[in-house]
Amino acid sequence: MSSDEDFMSDQMMSDDEFDDDSLGELDSEFEDDNDNYLDDVKDEKPQKKAYEVDYRPLSAQTIRDEQAMQVNEISTLFGLSPEQCAILLRHFKWQKERLIERYMDNPDVVLADAGLGSEFSKPPKLEKIRGFMCDICCDDTRALDTYAMKCDHRYCADCYRQYLESKVKDEGEAARVQCPAEGCARIVDSKSIRLLVPAETYARYEELLNRTYVDDKPNLRWCPAPECEYAVDCPVRPNELHRIVPTVACECSHVFCFGCGLSDHQPCPCSLVKKWLKKCEDDSETANWISAHTKECPKCISTIEKNGGCNHMTCRKCKHEFCWVCMGPWNEHGTSWYNCNRYEEKSGSEARDNQAKSRASLERYLHYYNRYANHDHSAKLDKDLYIKTEKKMTMLQSASGMSWIEVQYLAQASSVLQQCRQTLKWTYAFAFYLERNNNTFIFEDNQRDLEMAVETLSELFEKPPEQLRESKKEMMDRTAYVSSRRRILLEDTAQGLRSGRWSFTVDV
Amino acid sequence: MSLCVNRLQEERKQWRKDHPFGFFAKPAKSPNGGLDLMKWSCGIPGKEKTIWEGGLFKLEMIFPEEYPTKPPKCKFVPPLFHPNVYPSGTVCLSILNEDEAWKPAITIKQILLGIQDLLDDPNPDSPAQVEAFNLFKKDRIGYEKRIRYIVRENPAP
Repeated sequence: MSSDEDFMSDQMMSDDEFDDDSLGELDSEFEDDNDNYLDDVKDEKPQKKAYEVDYRPLSAQTIRDEQAMQVNEISTLFGLSPEQCAILLRHFKWQKERLIERYMDNPDVVLADAGLGSEFSKPPKLEKIRGFMCDICCDDTRALDTYAMKCDHRYCADCYRQYLESKVKDEGEAARVQCPAEGCARIVDSKSIRLLVPAETYARYEELLNRTYVDDKPNLRWCPAPECEYAVDCPVRPNELHRIVPTVACECSHVFCFGCGLSDHQPCPCSLVKKWLKKCEDDSETANWISAHTKECPKCISTIEKNGGCNHMTCRKCKHEFCWVCMGPWNEHGTSWYNCNRYEEKSGSEARDNQAKSRASLERYLHYYNRYANHDHSAKLDKDLYIKTEKKMTMLQSASGMSWIEVQYLAQASSVLQQCRQTLKWTYAFAFYLERNNNTFIFEDNQRDLEMAVETLSELFEKPPEQLRESKKEMMDRTAYVSSRRRILLEDTAQGLRSGRWSFTVDV
Repeated sequence: MSLCVNRLQEERKQWRKDHPFGFFAKPAKSPNGGLDLMKWSCGIPGKEKTIWEGGLFKLEMIFPEEYPTKPPKCKFVPPLFHPNVYPSGTVCLSILNEDEAWKPAITIKQILLGIQDLLDDPNPDSPAQVEAFNLFKKDRIGYEKRIRYIVRENPAP
């Protein structure tokens, strides 16, 4: 590819794919523009892309505030304490409208179902009761602190605390901790828990409550990156996942799919990703070996490895007798045993056809798998490359007198490279399930263009640091070109998904 | 540990004061001649007016040191033919599972009564052995016949 072509990228974008009819209505659907997506790409137009979704990363504090806001709202509406309302909302999985509707119909039933009696107002306190014996530890010391919720199941404070601690710390339960009495479904509220457990356990309890909120709300998902405490708010619903690949970037910079939580797999829809990963787990290496070493019985398609002996095969499973060389039935070989010269026989060629078909489908899979795996591998190498790049950047600074800001283009090129490898990887899984038709050609062209662009950029990286200075302009141009190719590909596939233009060999 | 022993002593006291008819529950003898509070041997009679009537089934209750925070392990000796009893004899019941419905306030009496209820009312959603479960699902008459036979083999005194 010559560099002249590279500079035509902008023109190509406007000519080729951007005049799709559906683009107009899509824009109105997704008006809000999101700036923090692809910060590293410079020549962004302020227009919403078909492959982008609206989303918002939320910090732990924001999540707490959101909960408090809803609790307060219900609290003023129902005239109940915030603790009660929090329990009610959790019981209804934060479906506020449903709670309000049900509560207005029959408050007593709703309260009882959520584990709240009708009366729940006084602040909880420990009491000493004469002649009391705790049913858990059987202690009947006189000055024993005891506690009971409104259900009046009274236990000593120590046993209560131990029970709550084991629920919160060992089992990670929070919103649905019940009274310790057998058969009592009353939920232990946060006030009681605060009274009984040490501050550290209470903090854990609050953290867990926070988690159930995110888990209960369909528009929230935790960032799957380790140690990241953010959640992401995104309006895409599971039933839309066949036409949108909702890729979001967390505050911690981890880019992942809101639909399934796996890391960025654009342009491949979640269901295909799942199928593909499963297939790769089953097959790949095994399939490789099978294709190299075995044939299948022409009758029952059991896989057979020939580890010696003559060409007269008898299938262990279906007892079919056939010739290993021509795959035709053995009885047609007549007297020319152990010497197959019957390649043209009809039945033999049919058997070979069937086998060729199954081999072809395997080969097809391996074709896509090898490329998928290759990009996966290269993406990993690119991470090493990034570390090397950082070294190069410092070297460049000292060797060529370029300033820090002047060498940032390398970091940018590297991150674009990684991003594109990730995308390319998934285009192969996407292509594997794609039904061949005219649309496929556009996709494959886009895929090829991106791949070529990526490889050229990758090559530039391999140059020794002395030469990097001369190639700065070229590298920046290539970086811009590569990311524009990626956008074109994603735009096209995303639009295709939305308008149902792609047909797949499996259900999405 | 002391909490565990305290509680078990009190359980023992309560049981001797009053327990449901036909049941027995006592700490096992330890090798040195004393009582081992951590291991009880119990007997559960089949409920009246069920196919289990007239039987008495022996059960071992083994208490962990964390009792009553954690539930005891209940095991039929010998293992019982029942859809919710594992081949080892261990009973599969929600109140005996610390991650499910176990609560520290559940008493030995409540456990034994719970298991008695389970005998005639198996939970098809958590099968623990293949044989009894399949027979129960596919051939109810055969299942009941088998239970009557088991009851005759384990008669109440």
